[in-house]
Amino acid sequence: MSLETVLHSIFSAFFIASVIRISTPIIFPALGGLVAIQAGVSNMALEGIMNAAAFTGVIISAYTGNVWLAVLCGVLVGILIASLLALFHLRFGTDVILAGLALNLFCSGITVFLLYVLTGDKGNSATLASLTVPNVKIPWIHNIPFIGELLSGHPVFTYLAFFLVLVIYVFLYRTRFGTHLRAVGENPEAAKSLGIDVNFVRLIALIISGSLAALGGMTLSMAYLPLFQKEMASGRGWIGIAAVHLGARKPLGVLLAAILFGLADALANQVGSLKIPSQLVQMIPYVAVVIALVVYAIQQRRAILERVKKYQQTMKEQYSPRTQ
Amino acid sequence: MKKILSSKGFRELLRIVVVLAAGLILGFIITLIVSKEPIEAYKALLTGPLSRLNRIGDWLEESITLILAGLAISIVFNAKQWYIGVEGQMILGALVSGVVALYIPIPPFWRILLAFTGGMLVGFLWAVVPALLKAYLNASELVTSLMLNTVALKIFEYFLKNFIMPEKARYVSSFTIPPEYRMSSFVPNWPFLQSIRELWMKQTSVTWIVYLVILSVIVVYLLLYKTSFGYELRTMGSNPKFAMYGGINIKRTMILSMTISGIFAGLAGVHLTLGIHNKIIMGMTSGLGFEGIIVSILAYNNPLGVPFTGLLYGYLKAGADVMERTTDVPRELVSVIQAIVMLLITAERLLPAIQKVIAERKEKSNNRTKVGKKGEPNVT
Repeated sequence: MSLETVLHSIFSAFFIASVIRISTPIIFPALGGLVAIQAGVSNMALEGIMNAAAFTGVIISAYTGNVWLAVLCGVLVGILIASLLALFHLRFGTDVILAGLALNLFCSGITVFLLYVLTGDKGNSATLASLTVPNVKIPWIHNIPFIGELLSGHPVFTYLAFFLVLVIYVFLYRTRFGTHLRAVGENPEAAKSLGIDVNFVRLIALIISGSLAALGGMTLSMAYLPLFQKEMASGRGWIGIAAVHLGARKPLGVLLAAILFGLADALANQVGSLKIPSQLVQMIPYVAVVIALVVYAIQQRRAILERVKKYQQTMKEQYSPRTQ
Repeated sequence: MKKILSSKGFRELLRIVVVLAAGLILGFIITLIVSKEPIEAYKALLTGPLSRLNRIGDWLEESITLILAGLAISIVFNAKQWYIGVEGQMILGALVSGVVALYIPIPPFWRILLAFTGGMLVGFLWAVVPALLKAYLNASELVTSLMLNTVALKIFEYFLKNFIMPEKARYVSSFTIPPEYRMSSFVPNWPFLQSIRELWMKQTSVTWIVYLVILSVIVVYLLLYKTSFGYELRTMGSNPKFAMYGGINIKRTMILSMTISGIFAGLAGVHLTLGIHNKIIMGMTSGLGFEGIIVSILAYNNPLGVPFTGLLYGYLKAGADVMERTTDVPRELVSVIQAIVMLLITAERLLPAIQKVIAERKEKSNNRTKVGKKGEPNVT
């Protein structure tokens, strides 16, 4: 009985829409993590940037009444923090992981601090009348029963997230700068010898990464609920990094990985009526990341072995006639 | 005297002091902007933990966890392994030791002993998977340990909510562990110490784990600096290629560095259940694993420095609590200060960069004075 109802609810448009809803704030930081890792720096400050941007969006929209100004400021804050990360890592030689962790600490501290100073509450911004970005009703599709419910009526950010996957793909694989960026990530010395300014490329990569994470943060505080909560990102920045690894560092893979995380979360909400504990379902994507890393590592090793074999064979073919 | 002043240790100490002062001054500027009583707030932050005996106790208890977490991190960071799974190991250590203390029907002494062993063992075992994956498949230990942190938290939540939590409980927590199955006060039960013991026990619950912490610091120091394993571990950390060609068993060292570190993380978890909370509750660790990273970094990953930085960090945290309770400044100010301190401490090239700027300035001003003298020989 209950399994049936659960299955029924899983295959409903409402459930799929909720998967999309939960995935969106993961897609943004995952893309951000992707761009940074492709340039050879891991942006560990994604989590903090999300918190800071979510907070900035709420505060600016509450005090100015202008949603788009708030979004702009949120992105700027994301860029600012990413630039700080770049400054300390690229200029002052701080280890990028430690700098990222420090910035996370900074962001989670300063947001709660300022929230308390501005509202007198440390938990959330319920007393502030902050705004949400508009939902998009796609004209034709909106009226189709199932598909309309599925595809239409999401906040702007959701469409932006999916669109940005395409943009990032084109950026990384079809533009000159994207090629440079990947070259820097693949082999910084070689890139440098070809005249690419490694630090500049990494700075830009981190800035892009920061603004993407900022959009993710604002999806939490300005899309479905106009509210900032303490530690709002609650691990989504880390999940973003995990999605990069699960998605084999490719835009589409990262998108699918982010959706898998969203799916697991949505499923965990649904199986409450069954005897399956929700914690175990929530665990799945994390375990999947570890397994994906293992598979990736085995593949890499096999590829290297094959290359060595091939190399040995060609060497044999080249040199055997002479020796005979 | 001159030798001490020019030694590396002294310079590093000086750097910590300067950076800490810079962080505190920046924090004070922020306080000045937002607070109506900035002086009061800072006084509470800086002197609060010492103002009452129970606050001293809070400070010490907090520091114990931080020192143990810092020790765990110092081992892996000396081996240059980005293993940050301390949080997960800690929460599992807390869970296992709590379960043993609550449910295993054996006499108190054995029960506590088993709780300790269990907590430390689970910390050890939890690092095995990321360590093996790193050693044999070169899978990033940073990512795997991060993922396993969440898995550990979910396991903890699962057992707590489904088996341990009593029905109709108001909070997500276990029963309180009976006093005989916890650790007792750190002041020994000797006749002539009776009055001190009673005073401390009334106001604080600092337990005899203090001695274990001191022992742990010494053990980790000896392990890292006085054994061949420690030498191999540090060589691998500072120069992996040299270590490999020098015939060091990299895989073994890698695996042992992470798992041994787990023992101390597990011990920190035991302290959380049997020393601080006296029960298993949700969100016991709340980022303490990450704070261990800061503690270790501040001590330049030197195990002998960790107790001091741990006490320092614990002092700031305890002071922040007092500040929040007595003034209008929230305790998160300390996170901001700590973040700034951590950024400045880890910025290896910051000092040279500043020195360069100063040197350039000096050169410029020197040139200017020279030009001035040439141009206007009559002035001075």
